[in-house]
Amino acid sequence: MPHMSEAESNNAIADRLPAVTPLGTPLDWAWLRGAPSEWGVHPKPGPRGLTMNDISVGTYGDVPEHAQRRSMAGRGSTVEGDVPDMGYILNKKSDVWADNVRELYEEAVARQWSATRDIPWGDLRELPSDMEHAVCQVFTTLTEIEMIAADLPAKWMWRMNHDYLEAKMFLCTQIMDEARHAEVFRKRALANGGGLLYSRSSGENLLRSILEAKTYTQATALLHLLGEGFILDIFRMGELIAPSPVEKKIFRMAMQDEARHVAYGTMHLRYAVENDPDVAEEIHEALDHGETLLATFGTNADFGSALAYLLGGGEEHIETKGFPLQEEMQRHQFTSYLSRCERAGISRVARTKLPLDLLGIDLSKVHGAPATAA
Amino acid sequence: MDNTTAIDATSLVLYEHLARRMNHREEHFRTLGEADMTVAIVVKAPDYNFTVQLVFEELRCAGVDVVTSDEAKLADFQLVGDLASWNAMFDNIVFNGAALGDFTINSLALRGNRISCESADPMGLDKFSRFNQTLQDFLDGAAHLDLTRSTT
Repeated sequence: MPHMSEAESNNAIADRLPAVTPLGTPLDWAWLRGAPSEWGVHPKPGPRGLTMNDISVGTYGDVPEHAQRRSMAGRGSTVEGDVPDMGYILNKKSDVWADNVRELYEEAVARQWSATRDIPWGDLRELPSDMEHAVCQVFTTLTEIEMIAADLPAKWMWRMNHDYLEAKMFLCTQIMDEARHAEVFRKRALANGGGLLYSRSSGENLLRSILEAKTYTQATALLHLLGEGFILDIFRMGELIAPSPVEKKIFRMAMQDEARHVAYGTMHLRYAVENDPDVAEEIHEALDHGETLLATFGTNADFGSALAYLLGGGEEHIETKGFPLQEEMQRHQFTSYLSRCERAGISRVARTKLPLDLLGIDLSKVHGAPATAA
Repeated sequence: MDNTTAIDATSLVLYEHLARRMNHREEHFRTLGEADMTVAIVVKAPDYNFTVQLVFEELRCAGVDVVTSDEAKLADFQLVGDLASWNAMFDNIVFNGAALGDFTINSLALRGNRISCESADPMGLDKFSRFNQTLQDFLDGAAHLDLTRSTT
């Protein structure tokens, strides 16, 4: 018998298969006969398994600058006939992409943790009432603001073209991260004899502004770069805020997640600006507004004062230690933010609405800032 | 390590032992997740600077090498501190079984007055946050190396 090629063999099988189901419905064996899609790419797993980078081979690794259709068909599949328009409005790679997005997705999957299991809840000890109140106020605010970083990606994801699947997958991990943060912060507020305390308008105004951003890139600037960058540094500050190893662990674990989100936002904005320079002004406008709101949020009567109280270790040292440490941390937060803006290709040094002099920002410490600005 | 060995943050052997310990505890580090970063630890001793580069890949510390200050700048971030600060951190780890309070690497680097976290690239700096618990657990391994407190 002459040797048959793989395609010939599959075609022969398809020819022998029934043309209709037992109920008389026509059958289509086109998938067995093969499709124009690339076949046999054989991605090789690395030491950590088969990663998204590993399978980005051949045409499957080609992410189009402009998506050709608006269906949920997987990138690289053969699409035949009419498919419904899913209503995607983010159809350019520069709308959503970041060069580190596949790496960040894998990192997120690998570094998930459990707020139920991985925090030593049993080690919580009763705190003085004033300290417990301060802890609970901080976690009340954090519980409130964390879910914006889930709601916002959720608002935009169904508008993202499916050709940019990896970006959507990363945002799915972010949503899971934020659910866990809301969970762990709410648990801490309730776990040690306290409860939830105040929510006020300054925080809500900032959240609403982020949620209502007109474009995804503006939303990313407000959320990932400004908002989450700010919160990332608060989590880092958790070492100084936390009254016990339990809260320190909470902050350290949440910090790792938050830093991934900031890394995506920073590199997305960079990609967006490099590939569509016109978008820079749109980002600046969003940040002009966001910085003003953030400065107001930073002086939030409840959150700010509770942070200072904890940083001071209580009433006695709030003025000698609490407020000075808070100012030092704010300088760090805004210096980090301005550095990330530089990395993203959106220099804010000359345009920022932040009161740099009042905050005592040393521009020479802003990485990448123009020398003249320093 | 010999149980009479005093902590010395300028000892390459210390970091090699920490790496070996990490590499034998894959299951522990798996719960934290993979980490990919290059860290330069710079210890400013009275007479010289000791710089060791740690390369973390997945669940392992895959490289421990003494490097020059120029090579250290290529790391994702550098942790720079004087000998007394580094030894104090390791003393705290050995005494408590893990770094506590002001002696976690995040605490030490937070204010930059004892150990500073430095990088020309904010994305490199952010890796300090992204993989912080892995780095902390790596350093906490010193508690299990039969070390005595430093002599400084």
